[in-house]
Amino acid sequence: MRAKLLLLVSVTFATACKPPAPAEQLDSALSWIGTAEMAGAAWVRHTTPDTYTRQTLELSHETLAQISNDLLKSPPTNADTAALNSVLTRSRGRIARMAALIAAKNAPDFARELDSLRVDHKIAKQSFNSIESKQ
Amino acid sequence: MKKVMEITLGIVTAVGGFLEMGSVATAAQAGAAFGYDLLWAILLGTLCLIFLVEMSGRFSAVSKHTIVDGMRERFGFPFFAIVLIGITVVLFIVLVAELAGIGLSVQILTGIGFPWWAIPVSLAVWFLMWKGTFSLIENGVSVLGLVTICFIVAAVKLHPDWGSAAHGLLPTFPGDQKAKYGFIAVSILGASVSPHLMYFYCSGAIEDKWDESYIPINRVIAGLGMTFGGVLSMGVLIAAALAFRPNGIDVQTFEQTALLMTTALPKWGFFLFAASMLFACLGAALETSLAIAYFFAQGFGWNWSENLAPSKNARFAFTYTVIILLAAVPLLLGIDPFQVTMMSMALTSATLPLAIVPFLFLMNDPIYLGKYRNGWLSNSVVAIVILISFVLAVISIPLEIIGG
Repeated sequence: MRAKLLLLVSVTFATACKPPAPAEQLDSALSWIGTAEMAGAAWVRHTTPDTYTRQTLELSHETLAQISNDLLKSPPTNADTAALNSVLTRSRGRIARMAALIAAKNAPDFARELDSLRVDHKIAKQSFNSIESKQ
Repeated sequence: MKKVMEITLGIVTAVGGFLEMGSVATAAQAGAAFGYDLLWAILLGTLCLIFLVEMSGRFSAVSKHTIVDGMRERFGFPFFAIVLIGITVVLFIVLVAELAGIGLSVQILTGIGFPWWAIPVSLAVWFLMWKGTFSLIENGVSVLGLVTICFIVAAVKLHPDWGSAAHGLLPTFPGDQKAKYGFIAVSILGASVSPHLMYFYCSGAIEDKWDESYIPINRVIAGLGMTFGGVLSMGVLIAAALAFRPNGIDVQTFEQTALLMTTALPKWGFFLFAASMLFACLGAALETSLAIAYFFAQGFGWNWSENLAPSKNARFAFTYTVIILLAAVPLLLGIDPFQVTMMSMALTSATLPLAIVPFLFLMNDPIYLGKYRNGWLSNSVVAIVILISFVLAVISIPLEIIGG
């Protein structure tokens, strides 16, 4: 009886102690693209300090890189991995460029990158929603 | 006139000192992840806190004891020692979170990472404790904390759907993410029903020499002050629901939370957030440090008063000095402050029975309170909320840890 109980507990923990599900990873990626977009929009309005905005963009970039790696290692089932990779890489690139443009104090180019990031965010959202609906 | 002034100051203090790292982090995360759905947890926690704060003040005013004095006398030292260890561990983690909150507020303004602020922030808190009086801590910092009213302004300016918000005041079952929903609900309850407020408030009643004539004042301060405080927390949740949710932002860090008011108050939102968190966390760090020092001093029968010079109550001053310095260590090591905050609030919830159940026994003891002991309403409300909070904590904390 005790052995069965131990086995049950072990199996429960083994199945429970798993990395975040792909759906959660996708939501997290969207969350960090949204964060970069919101921080960028605030900077364009001159309402947040340069250092804070740059650091938040760098944090978004790093976290997004980590999530992308995890997602590509174990992609969601029925996902178009190439399309997923493309939108995440593009978003990461834009966020990195936005961080660099703050250092260069280049507001016009920053605003253009922000607009492109907004478009990528929408594409990512649609793509992720379609993946999640297939799960 | 004097009484009116005391009530006004009491309410101002309660409002200005209500928000802290835990309440802002939990409300922001709740709003971002579940919209208005977790407003009920703030309502429930605030209701419980109103009763607990009123009971704490009444206990001290009538019995001339603090809760800790009463607990040690009524239940004996061995039981008190268990409560002391449990509460000290939880309050210590809460103090770490509050110090982190101050450091993070300075970090977003200066760009210098919060671990660098660990020592200066701890020294500033210690210096205020060492040099300050009880009224400076109670009133001075809380008045600065009134800046947190900007969260309500931000929420209103985002034009919430008040009907949906009212619907959120009733508990609902989430469609998915049940563990996360439960964990955030527990964290909100822990942040609202923070036991350190009880110890701080009842010790303050003794410091201010309250007697039975203060019972009506106490009732008004507890009722109005905590209600306004709860509304502030709801303001944070509503602002987060409207600012973060449409962008799909799941709040996991302080940097994300700092964007809370940049849409509603474009010009000053960011700086108001930083100032709010700075003052709110400073007030909470002082209150938590004092609560731990009170707990030890009252429990061991040492001299204690924040109004006395440290040389007159050396062991009391030594306790908060050591606690504040120790709390700086995790910050220096670069802990994840947001995760520590969420976990500290959930642990507070899980340990609430340890702090509250003995207190309920005291509040029903005629030896201490005579005709002023609790009625059925106070007992029922507090017991039900503590039970809900404990059950939710026991279920959701392991699920959240296992689920990562």
